[in-house]
Amino acid sequence: MQLTRRQTRVVTRICWVLSLSLVAVPFVFPFLWMISSGFKSATEIFGQPSLIPNVWRWNNFLEVFDYQPFARQYFNSIYIACAVTGITLILSSLAGYALARMRFAGAGLLMLFLISALMVPEEVTIVPNFFLMRWLGVMDTHVPLILLPVFGPHGVMATFLMRQYFVALPKELEEAGKMDGLSRLGIWWKVALPMSRPALAAVAIITFLFSWNLFLEPLVFLSSLENFTLPLALSNFTDPYGAPLWHLQLAATSLAVVPILVVYLIAQRQIIESFAMSGVKG
Amino acid sequence: MSGLKLSNLSKCFGKAEVIRGVDLEIEDGEFVVFVGPSGCGKSTLLRMISGLEDITGGDLWIGDRRMNEVQAARRGVAMVFQSYALYPHLTVKQNMGFGLKVRKEKPAEIARRVEDAARTLQLGSLLDRYPRELSGGQRQRVAIGRAIVGHPDVFLFDEPLSNLDAELRVHMRAEIAALHKRLRNTMVYVTHDQIEAMTLADRIVVLRDGRIEQVGSPRQLYSRPDNIFVAQFIGSPKMNICAASDLAGPLSRAGVDTSGAVQVGLRPEHLRLVPEQQGLMTGQVVISEYTGSGSLLHVEVAGVGTMLVLSEGQEGPRPDDTVYLAIDPGNVHMFDADGLARRAEDAGVSASGAMVAER
Amino acid sequence: MVALNDTEATARRNSVPWLTLRRREAIEGWLFVSPTLIGFLIFFLGPLIAVVFYSLSEWNLLSQRATYVGLDNYADALTANRDFWHVIRNSIFFAAGLVPLNMALALALAIALCRPGPGVVFFRTVFFAPVVTSAVAWAIVWRFLLQGEAGAVNQLLAHVGIDGPNWLREPNWAMVAVIVTRVIKMVGLNMILYIAALQAIPRDYEQAARLEGASGWQIFRMVTWPLLAPTTLIIMVITTIGSFKVFDHIYLMTGGGPENGTLVLAYYIYEQAFEFFDIGYASALAMIMFVIVLALTIVQLLLRQKGSA
Repeated sequence: MQLTRRQTRVVTRICWVLSLSLVAVPFVFPFLWMISSGFKSATEIFGQPSLIPNVWRWNNFLEVFDYQPFARQYFNSIYIACAVTGITLILSSLAGYALARMRFAGAGLLMLFLISALMVPEEVTIVPNFFLMRWLGVMDTHVPLILLPVFGPHGVMATFLMRQYFVALPKELEEAGKMDGLSRLGIWWKVALPMSRPALAAVAIITFLFSWNLFLEPLVFLSSLENFTLPLALSNFTDPYGAPLWHLQLAATSLAVVPILVVYLIAQRQIIESFAMSGVKG
Repeated sequence: MSGLKLSNLSKCFGKAEVIRGVDLEIEDGEFVVFVGPSGCGKSTLLRMISGLEDITGGDLWIGDRRMNEVQAARRGVAMVFQSYALYPHLTVKQNMGFGLKVRKEKPAEIARRVEDAARTLQLGSLLDRYPRELSGGQRQRVAIGRAIVGHPDVFLFDEPLSNLDAELRVHMRAEIAALHKRLRNTMVYVTHDQIEAMTLADRIVVLRDGRIEQVGSPRQLYSRPDNIFVAQFIGSPKMNICAASDLAGPLSRAGVDTSGAVQVGLRPEHLRLVPEQQGLMTGQVVISEYTGSGSLLHVEVAGVGTMLVLSEGQEGPRPDDTVYLAIDPGNVHMFDADGLARRAEDAGVSASGAMVAER
Repeated sequence: MVALNDTEATARRNSVPWLTLRRREAIEGWLFVSPTLIGFLIFFLGPLIAVVFYSLSEWNLLSQRATYVGLDNYADALTANRDFWHVIRNSIFFAAGLVPLNMALALALAIALCRPGPGVVFFRTVFFAPVVTSAVAWAIVWRFLLQGEAGAVNQLLAHVGIDGPNWLREPNWAMVAVIVTRVIKMVGLNMILYIAALQAIPRDYEQAARLEGASGWQIFRMVTWPLLAPTTLIIMVITTIGSFKVFDHIYLMTGGGPENGTLVLAYYIYEQAFEFFDIGYASALAMIMFVIVLALTIVQLLLRQKGSA
């Protein structure tokens, strides 16, 4: 039987959807399994697998808070991420603006210097930073978790992202600001920043997630439970022998992941664009 | 209000010298236009006055203050930008009041001044709109309004009309002229359009390669250009320039002595079509471009070359017609080997006689 | 007009102040960058220099103070009396598995999802979701799913008659599991970079080729793929560098095991520094990592330059 053009198109479309759906399974399945297992009892988790729990144990989500100071840890992650994001936004846009717009001796050299920083992984500098922080007496505090991301390769990336955006803005607006009597700081704050909302949003999004998901630094610098951040706390749901307490761990992981996922689903377009911006330019 | 004095002003970008020793005095209340081909430095010169570009050498005085190292906002000047430079995140009212707010003016005073300016420019109904909601002409008016509000001593315009369509440009030109008449401020205006320069200026400054070629009233520049560059730059269509030796014969018949001149300039609108017996030159029409009020003729004159001739009236000559050209002696421009004008008073003799006779 | 008879006043006004507009701009410029610059010097450049010195010292639990030993730490690593070459082999194996798999999948997904249409946004959202999820959460869940017999993956495989291995307890399978789960986590990022590149290719080329009778595969081979080459090169280097930095994923899924089967460089540095406290040796390893990444970055910059030329 000869298919009409229309029919061919429909068949192609169905194949397209089916194959993409198949590929999507390992992307979606872990999330679903994580959430459903968070509701299961310790015994059911190892029984016959099913996506719908036999008994919905809401209790798991309460136990999470008994086992560790989870609320405190949650709060730690939020406020550290906010602090890192806020400081990064201000510093990267200040430096990015200067590199984009101001003429000063050494600017070119400085650019080169910063570019070189982009390529050095945190793993390389973490050992000396460990001793630096110990010397400063800020071990087991959140100071290193705020300072290192702000001044590490991520901060440099944010600076470059801002610079790229400022370079493309029309210059005359800032000159009008100058004629209106604004200082440099005033031009930056009242003219350049209001026009750079897309870039600021991108930096804010990727910086927040970067800090939120940080693991190596908390692992190295933190030792007391009430100072832990979420990623470190999640890895810590184990019995005295070090074996994971799956039902609690998965319930806690769900609590950590689902809010981010909800925000992502609402603002997916903006978030994906932010990563594209940083990826292309970084 | 105050005048300006530029003395030996220069500007380098790295090794490139874009302004080379400009001397100029601008009277209080004068409307001065900088013209010149693109890249001549006219915008740079304006930006040096505004404070947006720093000054490499020489002195800039506004009123009796030396301004070289004074910040832009403290020079008592306001600038209207080519792209209008309205803040996209502020309304028309906020845009116009922004500078005053930065200078910590009282809100009541800001409101009063913005209203005043809005009335002057008929912007009343647009005050709460955002720049993106305005047409090009309206944006232009807001940009001017923003400049007015600060009561500056000197207004600077950087090609303010070049983003508008032709009709609007004529209209805004008239508005700017009216504004100058009302405010009586010193205004410095940059354009590459010589018609704009001619219509607006008290005095025109013609620039080339960072140097002043000539300063004068529009009438002076048109009738007494100092050199070939100015002669050709001012006036449309362009002045015909021919070798003096080729035209010595015909012009002597009109009583013009070309001795000492190397080149001779004849404006297309000054060349007249005359009957054969009055003709100084004979030529053949190659192309005839109808312009509505008349025709622009490309005439091949034997031994001289192609000349542009502006003929009035609907019934002009056709291609291949033979035409006879004449010119009044007073309209002949002569230039020496360096392209500088040779005036009657320099030559001393017969040309001046002819000019007097003409009057 | 300018009329100054008072010569003193003229002199005063003519004297150039020290703070010229140009100097003012330079000072302001440095002030704007100074917070970033100072922090960067303290927390980044300083430590980077320190690593060099550490790496030339013997400094571990036994010798509490650092003593200069020259290149001993490097010799230690390179002459194979430690796990170094094993770790390098693992790292290369990890990169060699991860990079092609990641890029091929990213490109395939990008081609499927580069044109707008029903369902496209949904699928893009799905494939990108793991990128915004923390690596820790991702690793925990997969570790759970990949447990021996009780794990969901093996139970699922059992349904179709496959007897799955104990993924994370057998060295070779552990490496495979780590690579595949990492690809699923990060492929979304390269996918959107490829989508951006594909959307930047004018459709005229494809339409012209189609008019000349080229098939879909031919168009891809002869038109799309060559035009994507610059993007492909950049993505390749970025992904390779990224693969050398992977730490949290492996820390949580396998802890470098079993039998050091997934012990890669980043993890090895952490282990030597913070578990065995061999600072000198760990610093030498960090320097080696730095050199590897530096070399890859220079390759990337050269390729980028060639691409734009």
